[in-house]
Amino acid sequence: MCFPGVKALDQVKLDVKSGEILGLIGENGAGKSTLMNILLGSLQPTAGTMHFQGKEYAPKSPLDALKHGISMIHQEIRLVPTMTVAENVWLGRESLFTKRGILDVKKRSQETKALLDRLEIPIDPDTPVNTLTIATMQLVEVARAVSYNASVIIMDEPTSALTNVEVEKLYRIVRDLAKKGTGIIYISHKLEELFELCDRITVFRDGKYIGTDLTANFTTDRLVAMMVGRDVTEMYPEKNAVIGKTVFECRDLCREGHFKDVSFSVREGEVLGFCGLMGSQRTEIMQSIFGLDPLDKGELYLRGEKIVNASPKQAIENHFALVTEDRLRRGSVQMLSVRCNMSLAYLKQICKMGFVDQKMENKDCGQMADNMRIKAASPAQPVSSLSGGNQQKVIIGKWLLTNPDVLILDEPTRGIDVGAKAEIYKLIAQLTKQRKAILMVSSELPELMGMSDRIMVVREGNIVGEVQREEFSQEYLMGLAFGVNGKEQ
Amino acid sequence: MNQREKRGIKSNGLMFVLNNKAMLILLILIVIAGVATKGLFLSYGNLSSVSRQIAVSVLIGLGFTVVLASAGVDLSVGHMLSLLGVIYAIFTLHVPMPIAIIGVVAVGMLCGLLNGSISEYLHLPPFIVTLATAQIFKGFAYLLTNGKSINGLSASVKYLGQGLVGGVIPISIVIALAVCLVLCVVMYRTKYGRHVIATGGNAEAALVSGISTQKIKVSAYVVMGICAALGAIVLTGRVSMAAPGAGDGMEMDAIAAVVIGGTPMSGGKVKVGGTVFGCLVIGVMNNLLNLLNVSSFWQWVAKGCIIIFAILIDVQSEKLINKRRGAQ
Repeated sequence: MCFPGVKALDQVKLDVKSGEILGLIGENGAGKSTLMNILLGSLQPTAGTMHFQGKEYAPKSPLDALKHGISMIHQEIRLVPTMTVAENVWLGRESLFTKRGILDVKKRSQETKALLDRLEIPIDPDTPVNTLTIATMQLVEVARAVSYNASVIIMDEPTSALTNVEVEKLYRIVRDLAKKGTGIIYISHKLEELFELCDRITVFRDGKYIGTDLTANFTTDRLVAMMVGRDVTEMYPEKNAVIGKTVFECRDLCREGHFKDVSFSVREGEVLGFCGLMGSQRTEIMQSIFGLDPLDKGELYLRGEKIVNASPKQAIENHFALVTEDRLRRGSVQMLSVRCNMSLAYLKQICKMGFVDQKMENKDCGQMADNMRIKAASPAQPVSSLSGGNQQKVIIGKWLLTNPDVLILDEPTRGIDVGAKAEIYKLIAQLTKQRKAILMVSSELPELMGMSDRIMVVREGNIVGEVQREEFSQEYLMGLAFGVNGKEQ
Repeated sequence: MNQREKRGIKSNGLMFVLNNKAMLILLILIVIAGVATKGLFLSYGNLSSVSRQIAVSVLIGLGFTVVLASAGVDLSVGHMLSLLGVIYAIFTLHVPMPIAIIGVVAVGMLCGLLNGSISEYLHLPPFIVTLATAQIFKGFAYLLTNGKSINGLSASVKYLGQGLVGGVIPISIVIALAVCLVLCVVMYRTKYGRHVIATGGNAEAALVSGISTQKIKVSAYVVMGICAALGAIVLTGRVSMAAPGAGDGMEMDAIAAVVIGGTPMSGGKVKVGGTVFGCLVIGVMNNLLNLLNVSSFWQWVAKGCIIIFAILIDVQSEKLINKRRGAQ
């Protein structure tokens, strides 16, 4: 397949051979999604052509693309939650199991079971999808894409919700598929992943095709430079904030069924990292500290004084801030403007008798947007029209306006591109210089190790280790998170 | 930033039309009405009677706008209006006017509080809850009146529905516009308004941002209750009586008006002025059909079609707006 000269994307081309894993990388807004939408027939190109197995290919709809043998695994889960795994996998293709108008449920389950076994995904085909974890749902998506026997499978950040074990499983499935002759287009922001998995890598930037080369010919630096268009030499800023007195401390936090005996403290200018596998309850701990979820037991201390965060409102009054892991669901009001989103949490401070001081609001939000280098055409633009990285900056900006003492960042760089990531790291470093205490949860170890002064390792709702910066190593941290080495506390 | 800001704010002709479709539809309707009735529509007598009728639906529509903005829905407003009208009439027969007015507003707030609390604190879908409370309100309206209407109301009651300010402008219109103005200020300029819109747009994100979303949602129903009480005062005055079925079907007019006005059913956006225009559209249409001697049975059919049409336009224009935005 190739697409020379797709105008909206401006002269973009791409080709994938059967049995090949092609990595596709580019910052958010580089045009990857647009291209994939064209490939799937959701969008029509204004110019340019595509060829599939030697023939001209012009899909009219995703269904059309599927019939040709092109399927896609989307970044977000697209399953019907109340239906079973089997029902979801074969959704829209019930006729395969229908005889004289009657659906053979048993046969469908058996077929699903066979498919799942082949992919070594250990789940019962008759479980409703909403009882599965996000990671398992993602694997169901993979199974569905595979079930089409497609010649080309597009995967859009398929590992963003997976733990290391499942990532390995996915890699194996992907390699297997390629071995059997399927062409894979693998979109990812994680460089390590591309290096590990792909035969060739194509780079896009700003809707333009930048280049394609064999993976072996790439180095991290070269790849990043191509993506960003400039050299990003130092991803993680130097640590030079002075660490001061303890700002926040929590003792023996418990929440039935989630975590227990969680104690830690964080100091001025310090970044305290939280590492753990998916489901280790890192996020839940943060949510309880912020008053989103109830605590059954435990005490919070701010600068030595006992406090209670019974609701986010109270937490904000106590100068806490929480950048949630889920940008869409909990981070922002998508249809509201950049300005309204930014001022939402600190609105009280600029209100006189309940009236919003709009001059002040404009000034503060404008300044914050400039400081954070938010790329938006106007502060009146809805947040939904921004790229992921810029949305995240809006959310962080919202919290900085509240001038928090304790800033909780839950997966602050999930799903955003390298350039924006580097900017967020720089920002975190700046904040530590302003003596803020930062709690940072992340699934990306390099990021955690690059940014944290200390890392707490969480496993199954317990803190199983506290690791100082000097002792940071991926193996050691992962070992603790999995509970395989004996150095537990 | 300046250059970029201008580009963002600048809206071309199409965007203007899409954002103000109620006004446009209204203009077209008025022209059609003027021509089709050979000017009868535009006579002072007709216009002032239309505007009096519209005043009630504006008041209901404004309350409904707030509820929709908070991502709630209130299907009980029609019967709430009837019940409040009946209660107001009974009050006026026994206590002085000011107390009657305060009393009926208080009862209206209670009705809203009931709707809001049941759906928010018991976590039940407001669609069903208000459908059910509508029956309760209806039941009480008939219980209180024994199914008969209450007549013999005082002159001051009638004044609030029929009187003129300065001999020209109906007082009911003044009341409706005053409420509109207050709500404009509240929704666009105050913290409370922001909180309502944020809660409607994404309750979870609003909660994380420190907003007491449950209270905000309940409060929207209370605002609805206040508006319904004011509507009841105006309506009772206009028809000089309180009938237990006076507000039947008003909820449909309200929904139609609000959506035509540009406040989406999904919440998170509010167009207070749009609602007024939406009410004018419905009111003018009703009046036009009356003047043309179309039977009220056909009027129902027409209204239903127009609601579907309005929502269709709403959805389509939203898509267009998003597309434009994407292109920028």
